[in-house]
Amino acid sequence: MKSRLLIPALLLAACATLNAQSPATNSDPASSESGPLQTRYSVSVIDDATFYSDLRQPIPTVLNQVLVEPSFGLHYHDRLSFSTSLLGLAATYSDNYSQLRVKETYVSLSAGDFDFAAGRKMVRWGTGYAFTAAGVLDPPRNPTDPGDRLNVNEGRDMVKADYVRGPHAFSLAWSTAALAPANTTLHDTTAFRYNVLVHGFDTSLIAGHDRDSDSFGGFTFTRVVGQAWELHGEGLWREQAAALIGAKCTLHSGVTFIGEFFTPPNTAYYRDMSISPLAGRQHYAFFNAGKTRLRELPGWKEWDLSGSIVANLNDHSFTGVLDVNRWFGNHFSSYLHMEIPHGAATSDYGSAPYSTATSVGVRFQL
Amino acid sequence: MSNINSTLRWFLTLFFVSLLVACAMVSHAATPDAEALLKRSDTYRNGWPAYVVRVKITDYEDGKSDEEHLYEVSQKGTEKTYVDFMSPREKGRHLLMLGDDMWVYLPDTSRPVRITPLERLSGDASNGDVARTNYAADYSPVYLRTEKVGAVECNLLELTAKRKGATYQRILYWLRTDDARPVRAEFYLTSGKHIKSATFDEYQDISGRPQLRKLTLYDEIRHTSHSVLEYSNPTPRDLPDKLFYQGRADRF
Repeated sequence: MKSRLLIPALLLAACATLNAQSPATNSDPASSESGPLQTRYSVSVIDDATFYSDLRQPIPTVLNQVLVEPSFGLHYHDRLSFSTSLLGLAATYSDNYSQLRVKETYVSLSAGDFDFAAGRKMVRWGTGYAFTAAGVLDPPRNPTDPGDRLNVNEGRDMVKADYVRGPHAFSLAWSTAALAPANTTLHDTTAFRYNVLVHGFDTSLIAGHDRDSDSFGGFTFTRVVGQAWELHGEGLWREQAAALIGAKCTLHSGVTFIGEFFTPPNTAYYRDMSISPLAGRQHYAFFNAGKTRLRELPGWKEWDLSGSIVANLNDHSFTGVLDVNRWFGNHFSSYLHMEIPHGAATSDYGSAPYSTATSVGVRFQL
Repeated sequence: MSNINSTLRWFLTLFFVSLLVACAMVSHAATPDAEALLKRSDTYRNGWPAYVVRVKITDYEDGKSDEEHLYEVSQKGTEKTYVDFMSPREKGRHLLMLGDDMWVYLPDTSRPVRITPLERLSGDASNGDVARTNYAADYSPVYLRTEKVGAVECNLLELTAKRKGATYQRILYWLRTDDARPVRAEFYLTSGKHIKSATFDEYQDISGRPQLRKLTLYDEIRHTSHSVLEYSNPTPRDLPDKLFYQGRADRF
């Protein structure tokens, strides 16, 4: 209940801030520049309710979550910076609980062609939209929610050095799993990446080692072909090969289609919880069609619409996903996210204990 | 007698050569150098080799303002543009353009996303309208004629895309005859469809350089909407190359 009081209080405070900053709002709502020091901040508040229907297990039918996500950045002389992004979560399900999570908090130093960063940080080396084979330090992808609707992804604790020269970039990162949650299978990871843009190919070579585990090596690429197509792919060898190939196509109308095929080996690193260790290599397909801002329809300019299907091709199970988003002015939006799994009770997606999960929410962003 | 004829022939030859040279010069003066005009017109939006400018876009629907977007655009040369989205509903997004290649960094997709040329056209003011303003680098100009826009005498150029990074396939571009200042433009797709028009409404003097301050884009498909782009605080700045590196998702 406290979180229920917290949200209106935060919104009132934010509105008061907006009013107080009214003249500045037109130029920049949440930043200040005074000499060499620049600051930026943002706050996001999400009230999300998920309704589960036709439950096959005796669990509550409604999950309520309130998430408060403040972010703050400080830059000094374009050289030294500090960034932090936190997540406060209050949830009501089988019991009430609240958590404070650190999504990112790091300092970075820029010196000539070198950049150094230390702290918890999100890096995104994978090029896949719904899946990733080579995103060895990336937050995990959730193919039924690749956009991370609630912004709950967290970074890895790491020390990272980048050297950028022309189109060439070299990154070396060492990430520790010491602060990772107990239920994760993360290891200390040392990873190296070389990235170059050549003939339109944005290409990366990735190599590294997980302490007390495997070494790995792989690549990623993206390429735009013609006016409407983008191709992307990833490959990584870690015990066995994992591969992803995908494409995006944009029509003149603004409708965008994304398709991906992903085949991971059934190893401990890639295995999903619902997959038996005895099952062989898995094959997944993802298809999405969406359009942001239905501006062709009068009165629908503030609406975004998207539909996806993610399927396990081995056990023929799939989940259909529908996303609808509607903006109200510059700070408020509401959304509907619906997941409809289908398949045998022991299958990858059919094993979900509900027939439909419908999430509705309100989001405030400052 | 032969001396007189010889002298006469010499004078006649000289006369015709002079006449040809004069005609050529007059003809040259009558047809302005389209390339030079286009390059000069670009200086009204790109006053320095490297600079930062704030762009505020206000969208109007049925004459009423319904949305505002704020961007900080960092540009280096004609090939490198970095756009920081600053409005609350777009916060965390960045857009990077390197020659013909373009990426957008969406905070909710966990990766930089390559943008296809068609995606550059979304919205009344497209990504290309904000990030791609060096027309001389993207288009081949041809001088068409002199034409009046309102009371302003203009040179009309036809620009044709010469690289795939160009936002539009064809542009009709009216430049004031006095100083090549952009006055009006019409934008066309590959299909020949007239998609947008623009009027270059106001200029401001920045350190002795006239720079564009206000531009209005009219949607020629949906005639009820238009966008006003206001440019403020253009500032020359030494921008490091690594600002324009496509692998950096962790921007400020």
